[in-house]
Amino acid sequence: MALLKVEHIYKSFGGVKAIQDFSIDANRGEIHGIIGPNGAGKTTIFNVISGIYTADEGAVLLDGKDVTHMEQHLITREGMGRTFQNIRLFKGLSVLDNVMCAFDPQSRYGVVGSLLPLPKRFAEEKRGREICMGYLKMVGLEAYAQERPENMSYGHRRKLEIARALTCNPKVMLLDEPAAGLNPVEVGELTELIQRLSREIGFVILLIEHRLELVMNISQFIHVQNFGKTIAVGTPAEVRSNPEVIEAYLGKEEC
Amino acid sequence: MSLYTHILTQILITVVSVAGVFVLTGMTGMFSLGQAAFMAIGAYTSGILVTKLSLPVYVAWPAAVVLAVAVGFIVGLPTVRLRRDYISLVTLGFGEAITALLNRATAITGGASGLTGIPKITTLPMAIVSAVLVIALIMFFKRSKYGRQCIAVRSDELAAKSMGINVPKVKMIAFLISVAVTAYGGCLYAFYTAYVDPTLFGWKKSAEWVIMVFFGGVNSLTGSVLSTFVLSGLPEVLRFLQNYRAIIYAVLVLLIINFKPAGLLGEWELTPANVKRLIARSGQPKRTKEVD
Repeated sequence: MALLKVEHIYKSFGGVKAIQDFSIDANRGEIHGIIGPNGAGKTTIFNVISGIYTADEGAVLLDGKDVTHMEQHLITREGMGRTFQNIRLFKGLSVLDNVMCAFDPQSRYGVVGSLLPLPKRFAEEKRGREICMGYLKMVGLEAYAQERPENMSYGHRRKLEIARALTCNPKVMLLDEPAAGLNPVEVGELTELIQRLSREIGFVILLIEHRLELVMNISQFIHVQNFGKTIAVGTPAEVRSNPEVIEAYLGKEEC
Repeated sequence: MSLYTHILTQILITVVSVAGVFVLTGMTGMFSLGQAAFMAIGAYTSGILVTKLSLPVYVAWPAAVVLAVAVGFIVGLPTVRLRRDYISLVTLGFGEAITALLNRATAITGGASGLTGIPKITTLPMAIVSAVLVIALIMFFKRSKYGRQCIAVRSDELAAKSMGINVPKVKMIAFLISVAVTAYGGCLYAFYTAYVDPTLFGWKKSAEWVIMVFFGGVNSLTGSVLSTFVLSGLPEVLRFLQNYRAIIYAVLVLLIINFKPAGLLGEWELTPANVKRLIARSGQPKRTKEVD
């Protein structure tokens, strides 16, 4: 049984057909890269899978459960984690608190515990801090727990987003251009991190990325999108030699 | 009772209400222009229960808060799913409707001439204890899971949802806590002045509270309390200037918006750790501005 199964989804915005018949079958431990020129509908695919938009047609199954029409926060709780292309961290909260926000929906105390010093609250806060520090450690940010995200470098903020998404206990992790704006050293670290997470946690990773060398290196499967349509699916080697892909990226050869 | 005791008591009652607005506007980023109506519900309900039904105060006050929360729930139900700017419209309409209702229901509320004969119970020590308790409660809330989620929702609703946060629920909790606190402020107020009339609870009052929260710093309860003292104390101190007071008030608010958009204290809170850090830093040369 595939952990993530996307069946023939379509999504249009007025006359713009952002996604036309996109499907994916991803198993535990796999990394799938989604590539394509700007405006190919890659982020829209993520937004449909994670529930920000609802698909016009088709279905999204997460670990066998149909989540197509579920509310976004409930899909997350079913095991969907994601990062954003344009880094969306919470302003006004420390690095640790940013991660804690992803733990809070799982925390087992209520409104009364939020207002009064109940023992349950302290126990749960402590449990949360330990879990969140664990994830910060996993991405290498444990030393910055009390910092403000806005004071951190771009690379660190990208990692913080990953730590925050990990805290949701995802079965499927959607990484939207995690290497955008990073320098070569940071890209190297990120590549290593993504591979390590995939090995250690064994979830499905879907990766949108413009740096072809990164995607080609770490993905087992590549989906190439162009104008909302999937023009090629396969292993990196297959995709690289596909004439249609070469055309989409480099233009048609003039004879 | 001296003039200063009087001014201080009034400011402390305002502190209670502004602390409620802080949860809603400061932490969660929702603007209520009908918040004063919940103070009215608190003030009128407790007042009527005591004067007309001769219920004891310890029954009337909780009953007033509970009623306000129940009304808040009904108002909140359709609003928490709306975009944030619509919330101010809904609450504005609701607030004005309550004022109109209080004006018309003469038999129960006394109409435009107000509700009189409320016993004077609130004293300065009581106002101090109330303010301190409410501040402690909200400070505690701010550092809880729902407090964090409120700040997350204010900062980025979409990202909050993607982290599994139930945004409408978090907004509702923030709204109801602020309603409860404001209604309690209404009880304190009615039993202090012994007289309430509908004009006290219009949208101008709500807007004034929002200004106080912004003036103090959107993410700082300390700032909200401080600015309540400054902005409600100032008109009293500057009484000799008569009508020029309004100008000074406006200039002060404009200066803050212009030069410190995040408010007087921004995110800074008065906690032992922060004070220690401040003292430690004051010995060192000032740090250069951090790069974003």
